[in-house]
Amino acid sequence: MIEGTPVHFHRMKDMPSSHLLGTGTPMCAGCGGLETLHNMYDILGEKTVFVNAAGCMTLLSVYPFTPFRGGWLYTSMASAPAGAQGVRDAMDIMIKKKKLPEDENMEVVVVTGDGSAYGMGMSATSGAMDRNLNFIYLCYDNEGYGNTGQQYSAATPHAAITSTSKGSHGYPGFKKDLFSIWAAHHPAYVATIIGAEPLDLAKKIEKLQGMTGPRMLISLAPCPTGWDYDPQLSVEIGHLAVQTGVWPLKEYINGKVTHTKIPKQRKPVEEYLKLQGRFKHLFYPQRDEQGIAEIQARIDAYWDNVTE
Amino acid sequence: MFRIRFHGRGGQGMKTASRILGTAFFIEGYEVQDAPRYGAERRGAPIFAYVRADKVAVNERGIISHPDLVVVSDDTLVGMPAAGVMQGIDQNTVLLINSHETADTWQQRLNTQAKIIILPAQEEIEDRAELPYIGSQCAAAAAALSHVISKQTFTQALTEELQHLGDEVVKQNLAVASTAFDAMAPHSGIVKESALPSATDYIKPEWIELPFEKAEISAPAIHSGATSVKVRTGLWRTMRPVINYEKCSGCWWICSTYCPDGAINVTDDKLPDIDYDHCKGCLVCVAQCPPHAIESIPEHIAKEKELAGAKS
Ligand SMILES: Cc1ncc(C[n+]2csc(CCOP(=O)(O)OP(=O)(O)O)c2C)c(N)n1
Ligand code: SF4
Ligand code: SF4
Ligand code: SF4
Ligand SMILES: [Mg+2]
Repeated sequence: MIEGTPVHFHRMKDMPSSHLLGTGTPMCAGCGGLETLHNMYDILGEKTVFVNAAGCMTLLSVYPFTPFRGGWLYTSMASAPAGAQGVRDAMDIMIKKKKLPEDENMEVVVVTGDGSAYGMGMSATSGAMDRNLNFIYLCYDNEGYGNTGQQYSAATPHAAITSTSKGSHGYPGFKKDLFSIWAAHHPAYVATIIGAEPLDLAKKIEKLQGMTGPRMLISLAPCPTGWDYDPQLSVEIGHLAVQTGVWPLKEYINGKVTHTKIPKQRKPVEEYLKLQGRFKHLFYPQRDEQGIAEIQARIDAYWDNVTE
Repeated sequence: MFRIRFHGRGGQGMKTASRILGTAFFIEGYEVQDAPRYGAERRGAPIFAYVRADKVAVNERGIISHPDLVVVSDDTLVGMPAAGVMQGIDQNTVLLINSHETADTWQQRLNTQAKIIILPAQEEIEDRAELPYIGSQCAAAAAALSHVISKQTFTQALTEELQHLGDEVVKQNLAVASTAFDAMAPHSGIVKESALPSATDYIKPEWIELPFEKAEISAPAIHSGATSVKVRTGLWRTMRPVINYEKCSGCWWICSTYCPDGAINVTDDKLPDIDYDHCKGCLVCVAQCPPHAIESIPEHIAKEKELAGAKS
């Protein structure tokens, strides 16, 4: 959004119609993570420093090309929140010493994949929340180590085929509940978002802009390359993730979790699964009734406990 | 040493093609190097892979700058400077192009001394990013042209490399590969090994020599934002979205919000405008536009129409 414009996102029409993030990035055509980032950036604005751990999004800024209009810092996979601490402290000190005018202050925004956020970056993130670091964290969750060829991560859903879970039943483990782990630290804000629901996303970004402290976001990021589907289905799959209840949209503020979109009539999960090659074995050569029913049952169990 | 370069688009299987060919050479007793060029390129983007094979240890490294054979899986890449298909080609190079057009047409169009051979394109496929089996076809044709790989060896190599995809996939690939192998029979042996370079007759490639400078001079700070717009990712596109403004209801620019790349902006008169220099052709906009006002057409056909329009 252009600096100083009051933004209030009530309808799709309120969404920005021109975009801040530069085109020409090396992300795959149809990348769901890029969709989240560009919508988020439009609202956050230019006064941002991105701190990015190794992953697909690292390729956004490859010298001398960058899609950002402000700063960008690259860190190792496990330590983006520690990098954010350094940037935040440096700016605070410079403002205090009057070396940086107060109106040139910037938001520090960590961007990492799920490999970092759900796995090796968790300790640094936990520490940053303990220290009540004033920063925003976006985890774009493509449910695997995308940049290195989609190996499974702690965010990979049960039964998904990845390059390290190629067996006939896919990944045997279960997706980690990062939202709850983050919320258990009692940071200022935790929310789930998705690029396919831009209005919900915009409202949440707008809300966290008025807060200080750790503001944590997890975006499901449909990934045509890693999930094996035609790129034009990226938004459709995002919609289905919400409508089937696979990806609950919710937020945590002041000790309370609220769902921002409760699907009235949840669609059967197979509508979401069957569009993706990584779940093909559930439908071909034979339908795996039991496998599909188990996945459905876990989703139903989650929503049975949701009241608000 | 055989020096073979494969050109294709991300997703067409050129990495696999180089792998299969490398394995075939290996079974025939060669020392082999095969590698895709690893980069940030994604589906639809021009990519290349290469194979070196020799009866003695292969000590040469890096990109092949003087190929004996260049294999092009998608003829729309030939005229694209960024794809670098024509790099280092001379009268000793064989250029194998997967195309509907004839060798004569290409010979005239490119005005090259290289020997051109056509790998006849299968039925017209709309989306060039999805040429099925093209990797296996290209590998088979390259094997046949070299003359030193038997069909039996090739079959063994392909089976080994694709086994993990299941018997059905192997069978289908073998069928098309076999046709491609046989189609190259009249040209078998046309690709010749070229000599090992010696230090004395080494010719420097025509690159620009940059003097060694301090980092702050040779890698200066970038003071401008959004420099990525200098990268023309529109080249990746194999299908082009086209807005029919008569159908466009000028909704809440749903296309612009959903375009992952931010390649659709809304003009002052509230109409969406696609930036073709950067649109990657994912077709999310086509799938999401409520009144179905965006159509997709094959990029090569859109280009031909543009050319025809410019001439008339
Ligand atoms: C400590 C460490 N281990 C491994 C790597 C190699 N590596 C680079 S990107 C990447 C995948 C990261 O996955 P994720 O965080 O989910 O991001 P994505 O690639 O999916 O965008 C890996 C393993 C690394 N950079 N650092
Ligand atoms: S692999 Fe997936 S997350 Fe990575 S750039 Fe491609 S689509 Fe995006
Ligand atoms: S096809 Fe449409 S959505 Fe995809 S990059 Fe091009 S303009 Fe954007
Ligand atoms: S989504 Fe369709 S109707 Fe809406 S602005 Fe885009 S082209 Fe027009
Ligand atoms: Mg990931």
